[in-house]
Amino acid sequence: MTGVRSPVGAPAPVEVDVALRAPVPIGLAAEIEQRVLFVAREIVGFSLIVDDGAVTGVTLRSAEPLDVAEITRKLDTVVDNDVRTQLVTPAKVVWRSARQRTVADGTYDRLRAAGVVSESGEGQAAIGEPLLGLMRYFDRTVTGILADHFDVREYRYPTLIATSTLEDAGYTDSFPHHLLFVTRLHNDMDVYAGVQETFAGRPIDGEILAYCGNVDYCLPPTMCYHTFAQHRGTTIGDGTLRVVTAKGKSFRFEAGYSTTLERLWDFTIREMVFMGGRDAVVAARALIMSHTFALLDDMGLTGRCEVGNDPFFGTVDTSDRIVAQRMLELKYELRLQVAPDRDIAVASFNFHDDLFGGGFGISHADGTPATSGCVGFGLERLVYAFVCQFGTDPADWPDAVRAGVRRLGA
Amino acid sequence: MSTDDVRGRVRSFLDTRLASRSPSDTDDIFAMGYANSLFAVQLARFVQTEFEIELQAEDMDIDNFRSLDAIVGFVCAKTGADGPQRPAGELA
Repeated sequence: MTGVRSPVGAPAPVEVDVALRAPVPIGLAAEIEQRVLFVAREIVGFSLIVDDGAVTGVTLRSAEPLDVAEITRKLDTVVDNDVRTQLVTPAKVVWRSARQRTVADGTYDRLRAAGVVSESGEGQAAIGEPLLGLMRYFDRTVTGILADHFDVREYRYPTLIATSTLEDAGYTDSFPHHLLFVTRLHNDMDVYAGVQETFAGRPIDGEILAYCGNVDYCLPPTMCYHTFAQHRGTTIGDGTLRVVTAKGKSFRFEAGYSTTLERLWDFTIREMVFMGGRDAVVAARALIMSHTFALLDDMGLTGRCEVGNDPFFGTVDTSDRIVAQRMLELKYELRLQVAPDRDIAVASFNFHDDLFGGGFGISHADGTPATSGCVGFGLERLVYAFVCQFGTDPADWPDAVRAGVRRLGA
Repeated sequence: MSTDDVRGRVRSFLDTRLASRSPSDTDDIFAMGYANSLFAVQLARFVQTEFEIELQAEDMDIDNFRSLDAIVGFVCAKTGADGPQRPAGELA
């Protein structure tokens, strides 16, 4: 049977069907969907073509006609390297909410019409009340779970992160598509004069990059890399579990921003990092998961938690990394309903094994790399899902949320 | 193909790949830190090619690959390998 999966990205005037070199099992459709918008910047939207239980092609949408031969080459390269060689793993749900609520569509448009959010750029949104109060409440509540069970240290990290830190974390290799570099004009008086002269009376464009070139800092894609850099070269005593938490703005370039609060270029993460022995780290992750699920059930939120994987892109072993993550359940994604047929990931619960212990020289007393794990809550997405399910009127919220938001105040 | 054949081929693979850190028949290869997570996929691909098993999504359960005993049990179940075990010392 032939059909298409739900469209992804924006509508556009030009559509072209591109056949894949060979069909891909439907079980890997989501893996293709994660990557199509990164295949070429001209692609603004797409739908997968499904035939007889397999993905056979992609309908690509763009503003201008695409070079079909070139786009086919790129698409096949990405699918062949990152997707086709994946062994299909079963979908595995580890928690389903007790309440299965019907969620109406159109929340984002209502928030925008009411002035609760306003877009300031692609994937960027200004957020007002009541979302701000809800963000404070959810943040305080999940950090309360952490503080109730662990000896935790909290930090606020700088906005910039050294590119070398991301290299040590393997980020530049695994997620080049999300990288955001921060650059500046070279500190040289001739450079400043050249810029002033070149751009006198005209807008700044790509030509300015000739006066820059520094790539020693990036915007952080998450908080935990700051934490690993902070603990670089340290030794963790036997039986010790280091627990660190931080909240901060995180930045990932995502191609395609149709419903802004569901896919933001910059967003706020509350991150919890665990470093120590394998059993203690795994147990810590499990504890935070179980308490989070209980919290969501107490509120009556609708969602599920399932085995997930990171969006590795274009590395030599992308497929194996994804399959390994899923087989060993290194990542769980908490997804909450935001529309009748749509949910979004609002948190992830991750076990890194000794990847970052090795990368940053964080060791046990015997010299072996420490294991680590982290939990990250995307606060904008979390409160967006909440208002999708409960609305923006506090009178309709669960009592504990309404009272908690009021208690925390502005 | 007998269970011993399967066991011998899996043991050989583990000994080669894990060198001096070869696990016992029941050791959990991943929980005990013998190998990193990517080794799970190497094991699955080894099983697929060595025993000509077309792995289905439901087969990709880590419990099928945690230990030598688990792998042998999984392969035998998939291939029907249950032939007589060779007497000790008999050549394959």
